Amino acid sequence: MHLTLKDLRKGFENVGYICDEETILTVYLSLVLEKPILIEGPPGVGKTEMGKVLSQIFDTELIRLQCYEGLDENKALYEWNYQKQLLKIQINRDNAETNELENDLFSPEYLLERPLLKAIQSPRKVVLLVDEIDKSDDEFEAFLFELLSDFQVSVPELGTIRANHIPIVVLTSNSERELSDGLKRRCIFLYLDFPGIEREVEIIRAKVPQAGENLTKEIAKAVNLIRQNAEIRKKPSIAETLDWTRALVSLNKDRLQSSTIELTLNLLLKNRADQRVFHEQIGAKALRENSRAGISR
Amino acid sequence: MYFDDGNDANEEHKNYPFENEHSKGRQKKAISGSSYDRGRANISGTGLPDYLENNVIRFVYLLRSAGIQIGSSEVIDALHALQLIPLTNKEYFKATLKATLIKKASDQELFARYFVLFFASPETRKEFQEARREKLIEHRARMEEAEKVLSFRGERMDLSETDKIVYAYMPAKEQKRLQDFLAMNESRETLEQDYRPFLETIVKGRLGFWHKQLGREIEEELNQPDVGDEGLNAIRDAAAGAGRGGSNILTEDMQNIARKDLPRATAIIRKMTRLLVYRISRRYRYSKNRRKLDLRSTIRCSIQYGGTPFLLKYKSRRRKKPQLLLLCDVSGSMIRYTNFVLQFIYGLNTVVKRIESFVFSEGLERITPYFQQGKNFDSTIESIIKESKQWGGGTSLDRAIKSLFNSCAEELNRNTIVIIVSDTRTVRHRNAIKEVQRLRDEVKEIIWLNTLPQGDWDKYSSVQAFQKIAAMFPCNTLTDLEQVLGRKLFFDG
Repeated sequence: MHLTLKDLRKGFENVGYICDEETILTVYLSLVLEKPILIEGPPGVGKTEMGKVLSQIFDTELIRLQCYEGLDENKALYEWNYQKQLLKIQINRDNAETNELENDLFSPEYLLERPLLKAIQSPRKVVLLVDEIDKSDDEFEAFLFELLSDFQVSVPELGTIRANHIPIVVLTSNSERELSDGLKRRCIFLYLDFPGIEREVEIIRAKVPQAGENLTKEIAKAVNLIRQNAEIRKKPSIAETLDWTRALVSLNKDRLQSSTIELTLNLLLKNRADQRVFHEQIGAKALRENSRAGISR
Repeated sequence: MYFDDGNDANEEHKNYPFENEHSKGRQKKAISGSSYDRGRANISGTGLPDYLENNVIRFVYLLRSAGIQIGSSEVIDALHALQLIPLTNKEYFKATLKATLIKKASDQELFARYFVLFFASPETRKEFQEARREKLIEHRARMEEAEKVLSFRGERMDLSETDKIVYAYMPAKEQKRLQDFLAMNESRETLEQDYRPFLETIVKGRLGFWHKQLGREIEEELNQPDVGDEGLNAIRDAAAGAGRGGSNILTEDMQNIARKDLPRATAIIRKMTRLLVYRISRRYRYSKNRRKLDLRSTIRCSIQYGGTPFLLKYKSRRRKKPQLLLLCDVSGSMIRYTNFVLQFIYGLNTVVKRIESFVFSEGLERITPYFQQGKNFDSTIESIIKESKQWGGGTSLDRAIKSLFNSCAEELNRNTIVIIVSDTRTVRHRNAIKEVQRLRDEVKEIIWLNTLPQGDWDKYSSVQAFQKIAAMFPCNTLTDLEQVLGRKLFFDG
């Protein structure tokens, strides 16, 4: 892969993923060193999006493995197609040679590829997104070691399968539990935090260009202010900021108003406790005033 | 593979900021017998200039000495990565080291602090070394003085190195008092033979008292590991200086956390509470009880018998998430930890829906309903403190557990994990032990978070007694709380 930092920066720009130079550099290093990138950060900062964006930039398939408690090899790597194998046995009950049948039964034809195997066997370089790895069990994490360090897996009946092309691996974690040192050692680490006001303005401009300049700035400031409140448990994500912006645009608003904030607050804060904190500690009027400060009328 | 950073602005970074004495042909002083050598041996052939490799490895060595875990493979990654960036750009250089060496978000702050100091200009580094030299001279002088003073009739007293350091850093007035005391005894004419050990015991007692009083002030002097390289020692000193002023709240006794640091401490407690709950409440996948036929596995297994389901495979039921029950000591002795305890209770209640919370001192009170109103921290805590009668009372753990059995026996079963937050100091502690044992017999596990510093545990018989029954973890600093998360909390029985 002949990749330059300039190309990557341009790629991010083309797909409209706004991020800082450090993020681009970290992704670049993981791509060039062919190491998985482990992205940690609060929910809604664009961790999963990174996988999608990379598949767009490299115009390749995105293979996603969503982790959860209890995820095991059968669901992540491969499984034999038992029904098909049984049918084959029944059909050949009387006429086939046993050895031939056995070899036949455990051939790739009867193998059900799950995301990890699919990523490894793919004829071209793909993006493998292992989402929310912190939700999986320790055993599964250990199993990922082999895959992530050597890009090969062992299927007892078929032997070791090596990757045709080393996939671009993106692992995301919400830090719900501490990941093992072994896994971290194999990855390049990136911590993504919520963007600052300026960066968020850029994001809104790129994603919702219909929003006026004043509205864009006010929204970025307002969301930033809400996120700073320690009592609010679920901070508004970037996607929620964009939803809010789209909602305000569709209501033909060009500035933030207290009444509109009240009416559309549920797009930003999605549980009652957080909404109560907002009303008690911030308030729509103060939010409007603060987000308008310094922005010309 | 080639590299082109494509950033014209890099022209501005022509002043290569990382040169130091090594790049000017002077040889680095060997840090022999250390992991430095092993690290160095592993990375030959990276294609980077030697001085740069040396610098990175010394930097890694410094980070390790500060407690950041960095493996050799990560160092190799860092050196490989550095070949891909323009070394004239300090921001890229920093980001590259960060991405390859630091794998914990909480270590990033420490990394940033050390980076600035390690890759400072030669003049600044010289200043650090100068400061270190002066400090060492002063330290040596103080220690010599301590040895001279702490003697009796010309012979040195049998005191530990720690005792001497405590003396050296005691207030001058107190030093004088101790000197006067020794001088007074020295002038006494008739002394019994075993008077000297007696005198030593008194002096040790006095120094022990001051050790506690000085606390954090001399911690640095006591726990100063010699990195083995004066340049690095100087940077460590400078970093310790920069870290002073309350920013290291992780290692601070939670009762001493300053008001201004509370929001940060609160955020950390909440995050850790969430992690703790997540660890405790994970379901365990399989049980040994056979319940339901697993059709898929049965068919899979039947293939080796020609499709005949010869061996039956059973699906085991997923175990239910454990029920958590929280018992918090809010008696007088715990009052200084109130802030932590409250944050902890609130944190647990906001992340877990099924949790029963109680506070106790002389009696027991159920506080679960306060959290079900969905109020914020301040108003929830305000109403609990206002309405509860337990705050600041004496501790009577036996009575508390008895009333727990009376009021909610149905909650205590093999699926319940009880978390006790207490310093173990209780009246009628024999009865309390019996009651805790009774509770242990009923529930799955008791996890005890003890706010006493772990160093003091052997001084209290209550700690030792309860330790036999419950899984006890120190919970005196935020670091303690963090470490609880790294341990196996209970056995899946």
